Amino acid sequence: MAIGVKVMKRPEREMSYVRAALKGMALTFKHMLQPKVTMQYPEERSTADERGSYAVAPRWRGTHRMLADEQGRSKCVACGLCPQICPANCIKLVPGEDEEGNRYPLIYEIDEFRCVFCGYCQEVCPEEAIHVGVHFENAEYSRDRFVYDLERLTSQTHQVSSLWDPADVRGQ
Amino acid sequence: MSDLVNVTIDGVQISVPKGTPIIEAAKQAGVLVPHYCYHPSLPSPAVCRMCLVEVEKAPKLVPACVTTVADGNVIHVNNDKSKRARESVLEFLLINHPLDCPICDQAGECELQDYTFQEGRAGTRYGDYAKRYNPVEDFGPDVLYVANRCILCTRCVRFMDNVAGDAVLNVSERGDRAFIGIDPDHKLDHPWAGNVVDLCPVGSLISKDFLHKARAWDLDKTASVCTGCTQGCNTMIDTRDDVVVRLRPRPNLDVNRHFICDEGRSDYRWMNRGDRIEAPLVREGGKLTPTDWTQALDRLGAAVKAARRVVILASGRASTESLGFVRRMVDGASVTAAIKVPLGAEAPLAGVPNLALRKERVPNLAGASLAGYGTDWSAALAAAKGADLVVVLDADLDDADVAALSGAAAVAVIGTVDDDRLAGSALILPATNMAEENGTYVNRDHRVQRYFQAKPAPGMARPAWWIAAEATHAARGLAAPATAADAFAALGAMIPALAGLTYSDLGHTGRVVTPNAAGAAR
Ligand code: SF4
Ligand code: SF4
Ligand code: SF4
Ligand code: SF4
Ligand code: FES
Repeated sequence: MAIGVKVMKRPEREMSYVRAALKGMALTFKHMLQPKVTMQYPEERSTADERGSYAVAPRWRGTHRMLADEQGRSKCVACGLCPQICPANCIKLVPGEDEEGNRYPLIYEIDEFRCVFCGYCQEVCPEEAIHVGVHFENAEYSRDRFVYDLERLTSQTHQVSSLWDPADVRGQ
Repeated sequence: MSDLVNVTIDGVQISVPKGTPIIEAAKQAGVLVPHYCYHPSLPSPAVCRMCLVEVEKAPKLVPACVTTVADGNVIHVNNDKSKRARESVLEFLLINHPLDCPICDQAGECELQDYTFQEGRAGTRYGDYAKRYNPVEDFGPDVLYVANRCILCTRCVRFMDNVAGDAVLNVSERGDRAFIGIDPDHKLDHPWAGNVVDLCPVGSLISKDFLHKARAWDLDKTASVCTGCTQGCNTMIDTRDDVVVRLRPRPNLDVNRHFICDEGRSDYRWMNRGDRIEAPLVREGGKLTPTDWTQALDRLGAAVKAARRVVILASGRASTESLGFVRRMVDGASVTAAIKVPLGAEAPLAGVPNLALRKERVPNLAGASLAGYGTDWSAALAAAKGADLVVVLDADLDDADVAALSGAAAVAVIGTVDDDRLAGSALILPATNMAEENGTYVNRDHRVQRYFQAKPAPGMARPAWWIAAEATHAARGLAAPATAADAFAALGAMIPALAGLTYSDLGHTGRVVTPNAAGAAR
């Protein structure tokens, strides 16, 4: 026995799709006349002066950057505070001494996969060397490329995070 | 009890012997008086003024390091007045201090850092003045002097003067230009000079060997005993990620006070050697093949059982446990057992009685002789020719020693380091070195002292006492101890002087035994 389907009898006026279609088209055409809000990323990108509309916040904590001094050497003195404070334990540091007797990092690596982007490393650094960056485009072709060595960290040029809003340091 | 006085320190009432300095009395009451120039092993000049405390009814604050307690004293270490005094002293010390903690080796174990953090001023009032600057000076074989960080406590000067008896350091210049000077015709090369690095409360005197190697907070610390000579100085092994990075003295007022010699201090690289035996090797069809412990121990047991004439060539670095159990393993055969004793020049530390870098450069000479080992190495080598079995217990062999082994019917090696020259042996078993096991050494005064495991053993390596005890179990069915503590407790049966002693009797500073007495725990 076939299963019977109960068909409700409705007035023709309520069954017609014409009214709904026209309603939808009206919304569509209304938006065609309004200003565009979609940005054609990645062909189009926001710039710093557009901030406030789409730009990433200056407090954004993204992939790291090591700042360098005037001679282009990294400012890090291998004090060991950032590996110590890092909750993800993703900073590898081996200190050494250069020809002038200055302490500097022989090896400095951050595993960006393990990093939780807390920004503690930037906050603790006494030399203002390591920073988290206003940066989020991290695609790579292989996993090992996500361990950033000192050279890579120093050669990055993106803006560094301000960590907090200078006008509202306590975040209130 | 008339020579005891009652004092109250920060509300804690205690009785201490008459003549105790306040700082030591406070220590007994559980109160730390911050201090820089005071050190229990040095005379006190009271120059730093950090230890000022208030004593009720005294007209002004008194230095706790040189003022002795008087009956009924009520002393305040942590009240406002004393704290304000310390805050001011710290402020003065920091006027010219570079605050280069990020690049300073002392950071993390620096008393200036600690006390400033605890009770120093939050800011500076001297922002606009340039700080005094002096270059870093090379003082000697292992010591750098960073003048800028010096707080002029003069501990280093007093150590060289009063303890080492080699007055090469002085305080040069005066006032805020003062720094520690060194006699221009001398180096800081006294055999005990390295102690100034530990004595320096800040990062002013630093070790070249340890420079930049690790941060204080990266280090794991393990109580140990120096392997340098028969003195048996107590040490602390500092490891970073299971690599030994430095040795430091551990206080033991009866043996080494607060010091170790430079030779002992630098004698740690062998603990980190990478060329180790990692699996038991047995001879199988003319070739050494890796195997498991069960088979290897059966083989060793069988070899021991069959042998009539046995020679043991042991290292003086082997623990008393290992020496005892290896000796017991070959009981029943005719045994010649010896340890190799390298000799060197004796170097006493003048200011401490009965403390010297001793001629015999092995840590367990006394333990070995208690366990029945001689020191006549050449006689043992001669006996090796024609012996049924030679057991090599991690001995440091030179080429002549190896050549002497060829006369033996079989060689069983219980060793740490891989040695190609011993490839002809019947058995090669991996043992732990002293940094990788718990054990005891007996020093020249028959003080039995424990050392603790500082890092993991490589591969399948086991303590030598375990190997010997298990092989004895395989050969003769004697029960084998499972832990180092059990092994030590069982030693009493082999070494009468140790009878009744356990690890907990030894504690961290050891126990003196009477070598010839059989008997009960003392
Ligand atoms: S941002 Fe946080 S998790 Fe990432 S490296 Fe810095 S401290 Fe470590
Ligand atoms: S905290 Fe700064 S100076 Fe210290 S190791 Fe990290 S990056 Fe280098
Ligand atoms: S001596 Fe102490 S306070 Fe001075 S720089 Fe070194 S760690 Fe910092
Ligand atoms: S070098 Fe160190 S031990 Fe010597 S006076 Fe200066 S702070 Fe004190
Ligand atoms: S410790 Fe007392 S004055 Fe220095």
